[in-house]
Amino acid sequence: MGMNKSRPVYDKLRIDPAGRAHLIVTDLAAVPEDAVQEDLALSNAECWVVGLSAPGVAIETSGNLRAFRAVADLLGHLSHRLEREPVGLRLYAAGSEAFLWDVMNLARQAGLTEDEVFLTQAGTLRRRVYCSHCKTMNENVATNIVICQGCGASLFVRDHFSRRLAAFMGVKVDAEVPGEVPEIEALYP
Amino acid sequence: MKARLQEIQTLAPAIKRLSLAPENGGEFPAASAGAHIIVEIPGPRRVWKNAYSLVSAPDERRRYEIIVRRVAHSRGGSAWLHDHAAPGQGVEIGMPVNLFPVAATAKKHLLLSAGIGLTPFLSYLPVLKAANAVFELHHCCRLSEVDAFRALLPAGEKIALHTSRNTLDLAALLNTQKLHTHLYVCGPEEFMDMAVASARKLGWPEAKIHRESFGGATGGAPFRVKLARSGLELQVKEDESLLEVLEAAGQSPPNLCRGGACGVCELPVLEGLPEHRDHFLSEQKRAANTAIMSCVSRSITPELVLDF
Repeated sequence: MGMNKSRPVYDKLRIDPAGRAHLIVTDLAAVPEDAVQEDLALSNAECWVVGLSAPGVAIETSGNLRAFRAVADLLGHLSHRLEREPVGLRLYAAGSEAFLWDVMNLARQAGLTEDEVFLTQAGTLRRRVYCSHCKTMNENVATNIVICQGCGASLFVRDHFSRRLAAFMGVKVDAEVPGEVPEIEALYP
Repeated sequence: MKARLQEIQTLAPAIKRLSLAPENGGEFPAASAGAHIIVEIPGPRRVWKNAYSLVSAPDERRRYEIIVRRVAHSRGGSAWLHDHAAPGQGVEIGMPVNLFPVAATAKKHLLLSAGIGLTPFLSYLPVLKAANAVFELHHCCRLSEVDAFRALLPAGEKIALHTSRNTLDLAALLNTQKLHTHLYVCGPEEFMDMAVASARKLGWPEAKIHRESFGGATGGAPFRVKLARSGLELQVKEDESLLEVLEAAGQSPPNLCRGGACGVCELPVLEGLPEHRDHFLSEQKRAANTAIMSCVSRSITPELVLDF
């Protein structure tokens, strides 16, 4: 990861004591224990999760829990909330890389700076892949090569992550020699 | 740059507005909202270099305007401008420098000023208006000067003058701002310290707090300074700053804002304990006592040895 400058580096979830209020959002049912800093104090944090099927450690200690049906539902409410929220909030996102940057982009639109948003990667390593030919977003990609749902091209999933698009770049793998597609490997569990 | 004093206008007993034009006609460089210039004030025994915010509109290039308060216990620069400056006099001024710019990403600007600290905001207002930006200005001043300040400000509900602390509920104001608001404070040190502390307490992040350093160096106990590289030994008197003494001795130490904000004039300290008066050094660097901002900071020990 060190040499790839497009790949963000994430920290474990920790609370910024300078904040007046704290909101944790995750695309999981709970923030996994190994994604959380050991001495994390969640007493006055709100926690928004998706679904409630998995057992969670972090959320049990949180006083204020809200479960959403789906990620899109959570993001919609988040956008609404940030528009009304006074300065002093710290926002924490934990989950897939695509989710983290969806949250970051919403936060930026609402006027939060990078000092006020904290990202923690947790759960799936599957990638959202942006087709650089037809602009389709291909979700939950586990393999090094994916057939684009928009244009049918075989896309090579590059290690190049766009924070603006919250997606990895996908480029046609057989552009030089049509039909010559390398073996597909499952790389992103 | 060589400039010539044009109009001098008394706004209140202790407040004057001075306008400057390029000495040989033509135009000054364009400035941006919040910029200041260093004015070299030719006193009888010494030259003061004081920073003043430009209060003229940033796109005004035929003249620069500054507003000067006569400070009772100052080192003398503002008093000289009040007592001796006259139209037609030549003065040397520096290029405009901006250490207090309008934040481009803010969707709302909350401006808080006290006393003469209003000056940088006078150049903000035309820019914010032209951009149709959302802003709110709260200016605190003494009752005897409220008319003078009101005359400088356009009328509008987004601009409020306060002559007593009771009419400005700072905590309520800071606690109700949306996430896209940036805060700007300018005024006496105690005022800025209080406003910034209130904002921090309510969770405002540093990136949204903008603070102008106004007034620059004030005097203090005299001290000796030894320059390790040249062996030079100099005395800093009560009413002089370390930076001024170095300059008077023919040295050219780096400097920019002359108000303890920009960090350019940092010099390494080899011996002695600096009395830190700047806003630049981190708590850790401050505690280490290995660096001093020569423009505003002084010495606790009778002598400082600098690696300069």
